[in-house]
Amino acid sequence: MNLLPVAGPRATWALLWSEIRKLPGLSIVAAVVITGGSAAGLVAPWALGALVDDISSGADRSAIVKVVLLIGGAALLAGLLTALGVMLVARVGETVLARIREKVLDRALQLPAPVLDKVRTGDLLSRVGDDVATVASALTDIGPMLLGAALTIILTAGGMFALDWRLGLAGLLALPMYILALRWYLPRSAPYYAKERIAMGDRSEAIIASLRGSATVRAYRLEDVQLAKIDATSATARDLSIKVFRIFSFFSSRINHAEFVGLGGILVAGFFLVRGDLVTIGAVTAAALYFHRLFNPIGAVMMLFDEVQTAAAGMARLAGVLEMEQISSPPPGPGPADASLELIGIGHAYDGPLVVDEVSLRLEPGERVALVGASGAGKTTLAALAAGVLTPTAGVVRLGGVDVQALGEDRTRSQVALLSQEVHVFSGALADDVRLARLDATDGEVESALERVGALAWVRALPDGLETVVGEQGHQLTGAQSQQLAFARLVLADPPVAVLDEATAEAGSAGARSLERAAVAATEGRTTLIVAHRLTQAQQADRIVVLDGGRVVESGTHDGLLAAGGRYALLWRSWTGFKPGGPEGRTTPASAST
Amino acid sequence: MSTGQLLRRAVRRHRGRMSLGVLLMSLHQATEAAVPVTIGVFVDKAVATGDVEPLIWCVLMLAALFAVLSNAWKLGARLIVRAIEYETHQLRLEIARRVLDPRGQRTGLRSGELLSIATSDAEKTALVMRAVSIGCAASTALIVASVSLLLVDVPLGIGVLIGVPLLVLGIQALSPLLTRHTSTQQEAVAQTTALATDLVGGLRTLRGIGAQHNAAARYRQSSQTTLRATLRAVSTAGLQDGVSTALSGLLLAAVAGVSGWFALNGRISIGELIAVVGLAQFIAEPVGTLGYASQVLATARASAGRLASVLSSPPLVATGTATAVDPAKPLLQLERVSYKTLVDVDLTLLAGETVGVLCYDPRDADALLAVVGGRASEYTGAVRVGGVPIDELDIDALRDTVLLEQHDTDLFEGTLRSNLLVESPSLERVMTAAGAADLIDELDRPLADRGQALSGGQRQRLGLARALLASPPLLVLHDPSTAVDAVTEELLAEGLAEVRSGLTTLVLTSSPALLGKMDRVVVLADGVVVTEGLHAELAESDAAYQEAVLR
Repeated sequence: MNLLPVAGPRATWALLWSEIRKLPGLSIVAAVVITGGSAAGLVAPWALGALVDDISSGADRSAIVKVVLLIGGAALLAGLLTALGVMLVARVGETVLARIREKVLDRALQLPAPVLDKVRTGDLLSRVGDDVATVASALTDIGPMLLGAALTIILTAGGMFALDWRLGLAGLLALPMYILALRWYLPRSAPYYAKERIAMGDRSEAIIASLRGSATVRAYRLEDVQLAKIDATSATARDLSIKVFRIFSFFSSRINHAEFVGLGGILVAGFFLVRGDLVTIGAVTAAALYFHRLFNPIGAVMMLFDEVQTAAAGMARLAGVLEMEQISSPPPGPGPADASLELIGIGHAYDGPLVVDEVSLRLEPGERVALVGASGAGKTTLAALAAGVLTPTAGVVRLGGVDVQALGEDRTRSQVALLSQEVHVFSGALADDVRLARLDATDGEVESALERVGALAWVRALPDGLETVVGEQGHQLTGAQSQQLAFARLVLADPPVAVLDEATAEAGSAGARSLERAAVAATEGRTTLIVAHRLTQAQQADRIVVLDGGRVVESGTHDGLLAAGGRYALLWRSWTGFKPGGPEGRTTPASAST
Repeated sequence: MSTGQLLRRAVRRHRGRMSLGVLLMSLHQATEAAVPVTIGVFVDKAVATGDVEPLIWCVLMLAALFAVLSNAWKLGARLIVRAIEYETHQLRLEIARRVLDPRGQRTGLRSGELLSIATSDAEKTALVMRAVSIGCAASTALIVASVSLLLVDVPLGIGVLIGVPLLVLGIQALSPLLTRHTSTQQEAVAQTTALATDLVGGLRTLRGIGAQHNAAARYRQSSQTTLRATLRAVSTAGLQDGVSTALSGLLLAAVAGVSGWFALNGRISIGELIAVVGLAQFIAEPVGTLGYASQVLATARASAGRLASVLSSPPLVATGTATAVDPAKPLLQLERVSYKTLVDVDLTLLAGETVGVLCYDPRDADALLAVVGGRASEYTGAVRVGGVPIDELDIDALRDTVLLEQHDTDLFEGTLRSNLLVESPSLERVMTAAGAADLIDELDRPLADRGQALSGGQRQRLGLARALLASPPLLVLHDPSTAVDAVTEELLAEGLAEVRSGLTTLVLTSSPALLGKMDRVVVLADGVVVTEGLHAELAESDAAYQEAVLR
């Protein structure tokens, strides 16, 4: 099992930049306003420096009034622009994030089947869940502050040079120390951040496995084992976080050393410059105040570096999903001519021996064919291959005479549906669950789809009817009911070809018969390939194909195969406990133990 | 546990680290506050005079100040972070323990939401400690700055001391609005996250019918709703930032005006003027920090609320105190039990008996399983396990006696072997009995992602092997062979009878292969026991039974 890819910094930036560029007007206005807000913050230290000089040179009260008005006016302007800027920047940032998370989910939903089978669902879930949440909270909570701080640093540095270039240079003494601090810190912390992210992935995997399997955890008294697993993975993540912060705290000390050097440099340089009558005391004061004013923004940038790196790692993981192989859509060509399904010389192997070997099979439009075979005979694989969900390692699958490879995922899916063994009830209103198959279906169409599969009666009897919330923590549906919903979705999706893989198997005991009726109703008029576990499903089919070891060993009608006395006849006898060959294959019931 | 209690407990649990950490962080802020004063002294004593000796003293003073400042933060912040990390870890485990409580939980939350609570809400709740520490430190900075101001000039100091609290109160007035919007926004984010995990969880189902595009469209809708909620919350936060920037700037203007006037009159020196305006300017930062701390607190509070609702959700069922069952009494006895669809059901399992139950309506099977598994909360009649009423039995004693394996088998990450839970010399024999002989060679194969890559039949047969290996006094199986082919089903039925011989087993199934191996079969229709007997007899004489088992 592989972890999903993580994008490099360049690809991550490219993704962000391409999204920001889609909002050109808003982005520019937001940048101008937030810069204006930071610039307005520069007025105060400069005005204070002027005040010191005014007082040293014995100015009158009007100078003080002027300074007060200047600082007050700048404060109001800064407040206004900050409020406005934060809103505008958030509008850009949050819109970009919303678009990225939508893209990521879209891509996660569209992963090609061979890729999907190799990724850990936990990892995929943590990308669309955890990582989206991490990036969102970083953006919402620290984004505005970070941007404001960065702008203040840049503008203030400019302001210091405007006062006097020599004072500016003295302040710049701090720069190499900041750089050295970063160069010390980044290579040391990066591997730990990477380890921390992996540890967090393991942690959510442990938590999700426990939550999803909680019934089994309780039955087997595995609480302590699972809690120990969560404890261990969470403790690893915790210790890594603490270790990362320890490195960060040393880094922070280095930042303080840089502050000392910068501030000391300005004051000492100021001492000599004032002694040489090159600058005024006011200018030295303003420069020192400017530099002092940078402590917090730089501190903020450094303090937030953690969260920025975590968010950046999260963003890289999101961008990584977007880097994954996409289902390629082939050039448009002719569509399927009819509802036939043809497998020609199909072979398939999952990194090992052939699971399906040289299978050729043609289903005429409207024909119902049942696949029969023991466990491991390759039925499920063949079903997935026939539905175009898996790509065979040898041979061709044709829908209406067209190779599915040339048809592409979307057109294949509108031609053929696969109902797999997995039954998932989507959380939300029951009608919305069914409507996933066709979003624009009216209430009437949803009802008639449910009616057709024999589900409308019990659906109407639910507490809120069609609007009853179902799914994990909504109203609990039985296995048979969940399966009927799957059939209703199939009816609504309305593909000409349907592949049912043990679709009624999960139903449990007594509902099986009504489910079989539902399956027949849902696939009425469709070309149907059905993986039969219950041999009655085979009995109802137009033709039965018996698989063994990935090969077709028998093919024919129910009666024909019983008469032939081969593999199928053996299976039928073992399953029903009947002797084959009686009227319609049924004789007197006998105990299955005989 | 209420939201407030949860937050207070977080701080109390780590009081040692927290108090030392807060002390050091406060010392750090005090030294930060001393920096502008030091700049003032530096300008006054050295820059303005041009003498070299005070210059040397001033440089040394500055160096000492920075040494304290730097180390206080380094040590203090480490303590706080350690406290936060440990608290997050503890909260996460508490949530997990609550969710996995053997008595069940009724939070009504989806596993995506629970995951988000166990991860991101636990993290955010622990941030209360960050809010407390930076809040305390910022308050210290304000106090040190105020005292310094009072030492320079009393009326000036008093003015600042009145101005600053007014400022903080003004900003705080906006907080309830922010908390409300933040809470709505966090809920929207949690819902969108839950939707994403739900859709990805049902990915194979979606792809089968080509509904990925529709699912993506539904997610987009939810994402856009969340975007709107976030923008509302951020606008409020922006308003708060703007107001706090404007007010602290106005305060600075007032302080600069008054102290400039005092300096002009010669009441304070130039150095003191610098210190005063430097301090007034510095004050804007701790005031801003207090605003930020209140935002963090609002976030922590919102998360703690969700955490508290899970932690204080009542268990699904109550547990009793009896720890032993009477081996002489029937292992399971249901007397006139009514629950959901069940009506007055009587069922007794004697020791060593193997009983099949055939339910015409699957809802009866689910109800019966809930009753037998001790998961039914409001039933009438009597359920006794080894003579002890099931409600009076300790949950662990119950689970020691009764094991329930469902047909949809949950597996965990590890290997096939680790999923079987028990190392036993009879492992291969039991695997063969469970019809899983084909998996014996793959026992050490790593199993990723809860065994999703295995087929339904493989999962089911592993589940059965696991249940057989656990060898409980009473094993309850629900449809153990629904995803198993006919040939294997026959083998499995024989194996089950052999491994469980002498032990008590209840099998809810409609498989003729399994029912044929049972000592007797009980048939339930419309919640009522309608008939009972040997499979062979029932299959011979009862038309409805025939219809149900012969499928």
